[in-house]
Amino acid sequence: MKTPEKIVQPVQFYFALFLGIGFLLLAIMIWSFYTEGNKLQKTVEEQTYQEAKKELISAINHTLEVTRDQLKSLSEWDEVHQQFHDPSYYFFWHDNRLIESSYYQPYYLQLELYTTQRKLLMPASPENHHEDSLPESFAVSSAVVGKTPNGKSFLNLSQPIYDRANRILMGYIGLSLDLHKALLAQNQFYYLNKHAIQFNNVHTVSIEELVDFIDFSPVSNPVNNYLWELTQKFIFELIAILLTVSLLLMLFFNKLIRSPLTSLSHYLQRLKSNPHQSHTPPEETYWVREFEEFKSTIHDFHRNLHSAQIELDQQNLLVWEQARRDALTNTFNRRAFDEMWNDIFINFQTQPKPTAFMLFDCDFFKALNDTYGHEVGDEMIKASAKVIQQSLPMECPVYRIGGDEFALIIQNRTQSEILEIAQTCLDALNQYPYQSLGIKEKISFSIGISSIASSANDYLTSLPRQADIAMYKAKQSHHSKIQIYHRSLEKESSALVSNQIISRVVDSIHTGEHIQMHFQPIVAVDQSNCYYEALIRIQGQEGLINPVEIFSVVERRRLEVELDQQVIRATLTLLQQNKIPKDSGLSVNISGKTLLHPDLIELFTPFRPWIEHYKIVIEVTENFLIDHIEYAQKVLNELRQQGFLIALDDFGSGYSSIRYLAHMPVDIIKFDMSMIQALNSDSKTRQIILTTADMIRKSGFDLVMEGIEDEAMLEQAKAAGATHIQGYLLGKPVPHFDQPCECQ
Amino acid sequence: MQKIFKTLCLSISLMFTHSIAFAEVVTQHIPELKLTAEAEYSKGMPNKPAVLMLHGFLTTNQFHTVRSMAQAYNEAGYTTLAPTLTLNISQRKQSVKCNAIHTHTLENDVLEVKHWIQWLKDQGVQEIVLLGHSSGSPELMHFLAHNEEPTIKLAIFTSLFFLSGPELGTLQSEIDHARNALKNNNMQPHKYSFLFCKNNYFATPESFLSYQKLDRAYLLDNLKNLKVPSYTIMGGEDKRYQSVGHKWLDELEQTGTHLIVVEGANHFFSSEYEFDLQDQLIKITDAQFE
Repeated sequence: MKTPEKIVQPVQFYFALFLGIGFLLLAIMIWSFYTEGNKLQKTVEEQTYQEAKKELISAINHTLEVTRDQLKSLSEWDEVHQQFHDPSYYFFWHDNRLIESSYYQPYYLQLELYTTQRKLLMPASPENHHEDSLPESFAVSSAVVGKTPNGKSFLNLSQPIYDRANRILMGYIGLSLDLHKALLAQNQFYYLNKHAIQFNNVHTVSIEELVDFIDFSPVSNPVNNYLWELTQKFIFELIAILLTVSLLLMLFFNKLIRSPLTSLSHYLQRLKSNPHQSHTPPEETYWVREFEEFKSTIHDFHRNLHSAQIELDQQNLLVWEQARRDALTNTFNRRAFDEMWNDIFINFQTQPKPTAFMLFDCDFFKALNDTYGHEVGDEMIKASAKVIQQSLPMECPVYRIGGDEFALIIQNRTQSEILEIAQTCLDALNQYPYQSLGIKEKISFSIGISSIASSANDYLTSLPRQADIAMYKAKQSHHSKIQIYHRSLEKESSALVSNQIISRVVDSIHTGEHIQMHFQPIVAVDQSNCYYEALIRIQGQEGLINPVEIFSVVERRRLEVELDQQVIRATLTLLQQNKIPKDSGLSVNISGKTLLHPDLIELFTPFRPWIEHYKIVIEVTENFLIDHIEYAQKVLNELRQQGFLIALDDFGSGYSSIRYLAHMPVDIIKFDMSMIQALNSDSKTRQIILTTADMIRKSGFDLVMEGIEDEAMLEQAKAAGATHIQGYLLGKPVPHFDQPCECQ
Repeated sequence: MQKIFKTLCLSISLMFTHSIAFAEVVTQHIPELKLTAEAEYSKGMPNKPAVLMLHGFLTTNQFHTVRSMAQAYNEAGYTTLAPTLTLNISQRKQSVKCNAIHTHTLENDVLEVKHWIQWLKDQGVQEIVLLGHSSGSPELMHFLAHNEEPTIKLAIFTSLFFLSGPELGTLQSEIDHARNALKNNNMQPHKYSFLFCKNNYFATPESFLSYQKLDRAYLLDNLKNLKVPSYTIMGGEDKRYQSVGHKWLDELEQTGTHLIVVEGANHFFSSEYEFDLQDQLIKITDAQFE
């Protein structure tokens, strides 16, 4: 499964994530612990509060009970009875003795004696400093709680006094006590905070209602508080420990993992950024052995890799050189040429400069190779390359881009300088002693040149094709072996074919439409027979398309087989329609590819019924026949056995090795028009042609001479021994059969 | 060991006699004082005299020495009457503190004794023994000096000491102050030094001065002139000797009283000396009324 990109994060991110999640979980745990502890503390506080309330109620009741007991004791005190008996010294007793007596409690505010009518036994003495919490008279004997003007809460109680002798009511003791002090003095509090007892604005409420008017708070529960303090302390310590552990963990993580990883990452980044440099490993020493080993391993690995890289670079350089060097000539090869050409093309966009493209090609190298063997051919190529390279300026390397084809590019040179360079090379090539290689024939080279000025509007990409056109023009010439491309050559090569014509040609070849067969008569010199060479024409929108343009399209589109099939189909139709004059015949051209087609025999099988009545000739070109002589012998001999005649077309336009003629499976040799024209050249050439013609004829071949355009040429052909002649003199290619066989 | 044995016997006898002798609280209105006095009365055998015993200074008839003496007599079949002087407090129950307001006088006390003697006679008693403890002794002596009562056949004084005198810390200045106050009809109580109430005896001048007459000479003189036989029982280790001197015993003996000194006993004949006191009392009384 592919890991999403978002998953890939720095180690700090994951550590921070780990810490964050850890802290979150711990925070939840601590918060839960804190909350539970707080809840427990609140519960205990509430319970303590309830206990405090109970304690307060109990304390009030206890105080009331104790106070009543005290009152009872007071009521039995002799001195109280004495005062009722004789209050003469009441003030002394009340203000001194009473207070000093053990009956008088510190929390008493006031004690007064009342008559049976519940009025003060004696008015207050002038030196009375008591709180005026007791009334001068009272109505009921129940306990009353109130507040003095000074804010002291008091509890007032009364106790009847009876005569000891007769149990008659003598009066009352009225007691007012500081309730707060009394509560504190008479009670022990375990739950109630005795310092926090506050009495609200109580004004004479009954003792039963008193609790509702008291504000109180429980004592702080030492155990609870201690537990809570322990809990809080534990939480704080836990947080402190966690923070400390986290800090230590962070420091350890930083020291043990992050820092080494970052350092190693930077080290790897340095290695990645400058892989070809030697880098020292990080100086710091890691605590983790594995990181140390990793660092060492990376360093060793990179050092070894660097060494291997250097070695590989050297090997690559060697391979690069080898890949771009032609093994035979040690010149640059096609790959190097393509790269260099691409560089020039790129640079030309920004810095256009005069550029010339020069192609060298050895004429008839194939035949030479086959004649003297590959070893000689190779030596000739090596010698040619060496001569060319030595003849060129230093800055112009030569590239071997084909078997015998060399190219070079020259920049920043004038047209005359380029021509001079080409001429120097050609002279050197022509002057080279090829005899030393065992080659007896004269070796000729053709040079095609194309060039453009520095204008960016020129098409740099056209230079190779233009040089190629110029080179082939040079090949066709016997004298001008250096050709500079110009537009006139374009027409000749028909390299520039309009899209409209291309479309029509391709369409016609695939559908058979617009194909119009033309026929040119080939007439026996003795007028004994005549047959026609079937020539394909295609009807264009503006008349017939030039055959040169047709074959240009066919060659570029590799439609040779399809074209031949249409020609065969058209001629077969004519035969089937009996449109071929009787006792004549048809000659059909087939390309080298059709010759190599596995169904070649089957392709001509439909012609077999007409072989008895018509002469059916299959024309093949000399160069292709030589290249595939063995296979050609096999298939062509089979056709010959079936009655077909095989003609070797354009003999003399190529290498025209006489040596091949004996083995060629042909019946007819057709001299190229250049051979006929050569009959007018020097006597030596003319003699060779005549000898060749004689030899051909004597070998049993029919000899057809093409290009006979006038009577003089006709006489020369006859004199040379032609058995058949073909040319405008006898008839141009026309779409019918009205000449000259019919004239026969 | 002997003392322990005695203590044990006394405890057992107390338990026993409680079941046979029924003490009761009796009251008596003192019309002159408009007070009701209270006494503990235990009726004995009719052929034996009644013993009227008077408690010491500011105490009641519940004081342990008085109770011990009453018990001894009750056990011996004597009728006993132990009044509690009112000290101007009707049916007084508790001892009076020094700082309480003292308005009572010696004369009031004697008056109450007089009423109780009458009460005894009213009960049919024909022979009375007066028994005083501590300050009750000089008070009874004062009564005898000023009242002729034929029914009184015997006087026994225990821990007999005079109540006023420089030996006891009585300040003349205070006496003068009281006298001046009295003279000026200023009846406001004042804090005096009187016996063990040092500077806190809160008494009216009349009350304070009334007891001052019971000085050393007064007692010795009256004791010498008593018309009834008298016995004086003194504790050998009474701390009062520290202030009055041991010659007090000699002085007492010189009066003609039958002086008995219980060696080792303190002022209150506390602890095991109660038995010695009881023995002496019963012995004296039995001998007197054989």
